Amino acid sequence: MSSPPLASPAPVRRALSGPALIGLVVAMIVAVALPVFTTGYVVYIANLLLVFVVLCLGLHIVIGETGQFSMAHAAFYGIGIYASALANRAVDLPYPVAMLFGALVAGAVGLFIGALALRMRDIYLALATFAFGEATQWVFANWDSVTNGPNGLRISPARFGPIEILSDKQAYPFVLFFCLLMIGLTVAISRSRLGRSFRAVRESEVAAMAMGIDVRRARIVSFGLSAAIAGFAGGMFGLFQTFIHPDSLGFQTTILVLTMVVVGGLGSIAGAIGGAIVFGLISEVLRQAPQYQEIIYGAILILFMMYAPRGLFAFIGDRIREARHGR
Amino acid sequence: MAAFAPPPFPDLSIGPDMDLQLALIFLQQGIASGLVSGSVYALLALAIVVIFKTSDVPNFAQGEVFMAAGYVALYLFVFQKMPIWVVLPATLVVAFLAMALFRRFVLDQVAKSAKDLVYLVIATLGLSYVLKGFVRRTGFGDTPRSFPALVPTDSIMIGQASVTMLDLAIFGTAVTVMAAFFWMFNYTKTGRAMRAVGMNPKAAQLVGVDLRRCHMLIWGLSGVISAIAALLISPKILMTADMGSIVMLAFAAAIVGGFSSLPGAVVGGFVIGIVENMVGLFISSRAIVLAPFLAILIVLVLRPQGLFGGKLTIKKV
Repeated sequence: MSSPPLASPAPVRRALSGPALIGLVVAMIVAVALPVFTTGYVVYIANLLLVFVVLCLGLHIVIGETGQFSMAHAAFYGIGIYASALANRAVDLPYPVAMLFGALVAGAVGLFIGALALRMRDIYLALATFAFGEATQWVFANWDSVTNGPNGLRISPARFGPIEILSDKQAYPFVLFFCLLMIGLTVAISRSRLGRSFRAVRESEVAAMAMGIDVRRARIVSFGLSAAIAGFAGGMFGLFQTFIHPDSLGFQTTILVLTMVVVGGLGSIAGAIGGAIVFGLISEVLRQAPQYQEIIYGAILILFMMYAPRGLFAFIGDRIREARHGR
Repeated sequence: MAAFAPPPFPDLSIGPDMDLQLALIFLQQGIASGLVSGSVYALLALAIVVIFKTSDVPNFAQGEVFMAAGYVALYLFVFQKMPIWVVLPATLVVAFLAMALFRRFVLDQVAKSAKDLVYLVIATLGLSYVLKGFVRRTGFGDTPRSFPALVPTDSIMIGQASVTMLDLAIFGTAVTVMAAFFWMFNYTKTGRAMRAVGMNPKAAQLVGVDLRRCHMLIWGLSGVISAIAALLISPKILMTADMGSIVMLAFAAAIVGGFSSLPGAVVGGFVIGIVENMVGLFISSRAIVLAPFLAILIVLVLRPQGLFGGKLTIKKV
């Protein structure tokens, strides 16, 4: 992983002063006030983008922080969706508990995959997780008695005590809250001892081991956490969606999330969040031109890898710096 | 996942009272059909492995290269009505150029700006999306089509297994191509240069191998092999823009054989082909789809280096 140079405190403080800070505040206000001004469709997209932000945070933990190339993210997401929806429907659990249940199930599966993944790296890990993702999608589509198979599953409305969520607008504050919660959690993990051990493993397993880091534990835990966060995103999806179909949980979803993280910049939380929002909006616009969608997705992936592998924001930052200091 | 054409006899329901006679027939049929579809998987696996061995990149676009080559041939032959002796070489040339140029103009640049493997893999994923989108955009990929068979498809019996002339032609051509490739890779000067690049690119450069040219050649050849696989199999399957997904069986084959072993890729291809057909005959055609993924998972867990992978090596700091 070609890591960006370590940021010294000064530029960080400078970045958070002036325009950036104002931008952040404006973004917060817009995010909070969004449902007041807009129609259902925009709120729906906002909900979806927030779910993708959380999914990207999950992928960030396993690829960005720990450097393990997982391609099973759609599977963990799907497990979270099905587990929380089924828990909600079957036992009529309060929805937050159902979401937690979905995250736990996905996390448990993630720990298991993480344990299997210990013996593999790079391409082998990518292929094994890819195979796991495809197999999981097959299970979603064929385990009729539980998932209702290829007909898809109806998700019952989420219930918070006496409140029943029936519209995108009602769901939005909850989705926003859970998204911010997950951002906070990811930042906390990333800054903790555990997060530092993840990055040490990414840079060099041998060096990490020499420093007394339990590499096996770090790799397994990062898979588990990543899967749990993706599962939680699945629960968030159930807040405003009424239906899930196995077709939407395949490789395309994994690629979509991977693209978001890459566009934002691999290895940075802000990049994962920004990438989810920017690329989420791009792919929503591309929906108008479905014939070109795949070509443009592919071209974006290729061009970013060729000219801006550190992501859109680092790329823009570099250009600004160049302009400021003259060539 | 495009499973290959079912064996040409009635789908008999298999109960617990399935007798030995029937099991023997199934066994022979499974092996015969498995060798035919396996030879195509083996070709694709060979194309993947030769790239991985020499430039350390798993090409996730190999399936789409295979698919796009099939459509180039279909376009020239069916829509432009060109004679077949023009269509075949033209398809191979297009596949060669497309892959060589992708290596030269895209991947070299990616490798220059980012060192990590992840970036190269994502670039190949990008290529797979572009190719798929392009075929869909032209409109040819929207309706399932079939490439006309150039060899009669009358069935003949070998033992108790029924195969067609086309099957024999597929198997024969695939084996010939593989043999020719092995000869080239092991005994010609170009092949030796390729092997040297695979072992140690810097040292190869020092002894006068043109690294860039060598990589272009390898990627081009891998495109040619994929195109041959497409030409062989497309009369037997329905062509769609998604037909590249059979590359999963090739990846499974490459993993079973050991990802950096050329003979392993070939053996793995036949193993996957036979296992797939056996699963279809003895268990259920629904389970065929799952077979390659289970094969990948099981092999990677039990023996990550594959059957022919040699000893596992750990990358030092």
